[in-house]
Amino acid sequence: MQAQTQTATEPEINPVVEQKIQRLRELYADAPEVGKAALEKGLANIRAELSEITASGKESAGRAGARQGKVSELTAILNITKDGAKRLRGLLELTEGNFKAADIVGTLHDMRFVFLDNDTRLLFATAYDGEWDAYIDDFVTKIPTSMDLFFCNLEGWPGIHAPSIKDWLVENQITADAWYVANPNLTVAEAKRLQKIAPALEEFLDKVG
Amino acid sequence: MVSGKTSVGATPSTTAPMLELHDIQATVLRPRPAPYFGTHVLLRVNDAEGGRAFLRRLTPHVASSTEWWNSANTWLSVGLSYAGLEAMGVPSDSLQSFPEAFRVGMAARAAQLRDEGVNHPRNWEAVFNSRDTHIGVSAFSDSEENHTRALAVAREQYEGFSGVSVVALQDFGAQPGDLNPLGYKDGIDQPAIEGSGVDPLPGQGPLIKAGEFILGYPGEAGIPLLMPQPEVLGRNGTYLGFRKYQSRVGAFNRFLRAHGSTEAEQELLAAKLVGRWRSGAPLTLAPDIDNPDIGADPKRNNDFNYTEDSRGFKAPLGCHIRRMNPRDTKLTRLTDVNIHRLIRRGTTYGAPYDPNALSEADDEIPRGAIFLFISAKAMATIEFLQQEWINDGNFIGAGNERDPIIGQQEEGATFTIPREPVRRRVHGIETFNVLRGGEYFFMPSLTALKWIAAPDK
Repeated sequence: MQAQTQTATEPEINPVVEQKIQRLRELYADAPEVGKAALEKGLANIRAELSEITASGKESAGRAGARQGKVSELTAILNITKDGAKRLRGLLELTEGNFKAADIVGTLHDMRFVFLDNDTRLLFATAYDGEWDAYIDDFVTKIPTSMDLFFCNLEGWPGIHAPSIKDWLVENQITADAWYVANPNLTVAEAKRLQKIAPALEEFLDKVG
Repeated sequence: MVSGKTSVGATPSTTAPMLELHDIQATVLRPRPAPYFGTHVLLRVNDAEGGRAFLRRLTPHVASSTEWWNSANTWLSVGLSYAGLEAMGVPSDSLQSFPEAFRVGMAARAAQLRDEGVNHPRNWEAVFNSRDTHIGVSAFSDSEENHTRALAVAREQYEGFSGVSVVALQDFGAQPGDLNPLGYKDGIDQPAIEGSGVDPLPGQGPLIKAGEFILGYPGEAGIPLLMPQPEVLGRNGTYLGFRKYQSRVGAFNRFLRAHGSTEAEQELLAAKLVGRWRSGAPLTLAPDIDNPDIGADPKRNNDFNYTEDSRGFKAPLGCHIRRMNPRDTKLTRLTDVNIHRLIRRGTTYGAPYDPNALSEADDEIPRGAIFLFISAKAMATIEFLQQEWINDGNFIGAGNERDPIIGQQEEGATFTIPREPVRRRVHGIETFNVLRGGEYFFMPSLTALKWIAAPDK
């Protein structure tokens, strides 16, 4: 108990943390006044947060993209073909925000489509389980039409059957510099299973309780 | 049109084979005989012309797939690793046309193959880390006498020549009762290949496009897979993943005894791990007690799907055969089960299965199986299987659980047996088959062997 109180009031000096803080001070040396003041005010919290980091949260998801635990991210900014935006918006509106196809894939935590630069570019961002690389062939034989229907509106799409398809995807991918995942070890399948188990468990506890 | 009897238990098809069987190596399509006798010889090429000269001498003795369905036979096959193709002076633009995983070799793909812990290449037999396994010659026979003859033919082509030298030699053969090192009848479920000249056995279907297994033909996506160039090199060839496993029979028996108090309980657990009784009878058809008649009958032992067992009360979702071929199991993620199949040629070596082996010393007795996994994209498929279906459980909603037979188990690993009212979760599962080495080989057509062996291209 005594030791705990001591740790809380007099944190041990961690040279790695102090180095990081020194680096942050250098970066903020020419920041706006408000930023410099914020750094000094927040220093205690930042120090505490940095001390808790035990392992790197960054891992690679195959050839491109970042991974945390079982979840990977894919971010791409793609050039839209002439009039492609019209078709893409049309496709997205048809589904009225429902993505049955994404449900079928079974690994997608989320997907985000954002039109940029006067509808000339598309930002596509998704979080998904595992690596897409292993399953690309399954997309080719199982949902080739859905893939071609959507991606044909993007410049350079080689067609779902082209051998260069993996390269095209990787070339267009931008690995996130930072990315936060609340449940890095919870896959979509596992979350669905737990959602089913929870009510059954409550019911069981109701009976015995 | 194919006529006559087959020794693989299937009926010859009434339509002519679509594949150029005379050019495809026999091992690609022909299952091992029962019983079987054989040897794998791994060779190093010491100089390019010496290696090519060996191949020129050997090629006339390499068997084609003509009448592959007669498996009661004796034949030689040959595969070349990337290092071997390079050592034999195959032009660099051809070398570069091979897939990356093949070029770097199996050991270098350990991360993608999840060959970690005890299975990591650092723990392999030295020869598999040397990149000296250039040529793999396999002799298969239906009798010991024929085998001696076949091996002598192979030996005559390398012994006394300086161009190649033997780096490893491994005899293999059927154990009493044709059982594998853990005591099961195996090798039952093989993919049915369209146009190969034999109708599929009941339950073997659906027919899978030949291009998934042999280069130069359309695959499941309707187009041929990329193949090494020029066409004469790639066409009618395929890839072979060679993986040598040591079976830890003591650990396996200890596990069965720790979790079953009677022999019947232990045998049921043994069946639950695999999805088949040791006789080969599938749990789906014989859920409570073994039925050796079904196990022995090629027309019945694979004739099932999982429609009536979607939750795995008979064959657990995580059992070995359900992982390796989920058939119609509903998987958690979009998957085409037809594109992740391999032709398997399991070749058992060493001491036979011993049901009374219980000690840790028994785990180290050399015995196990060398698997030959054959497919036109063997590297991608083996990596997929190792990542998704063997060393993970997410695809069947089983969390972190792994294949109980060939998975590399982590501390605290479990195996779930679905039951009513609640599942049974068995603890203490260990790595029962340890990887001792492996390499990728290209198995060229007979035409391509001549091309590779030619002094100048």
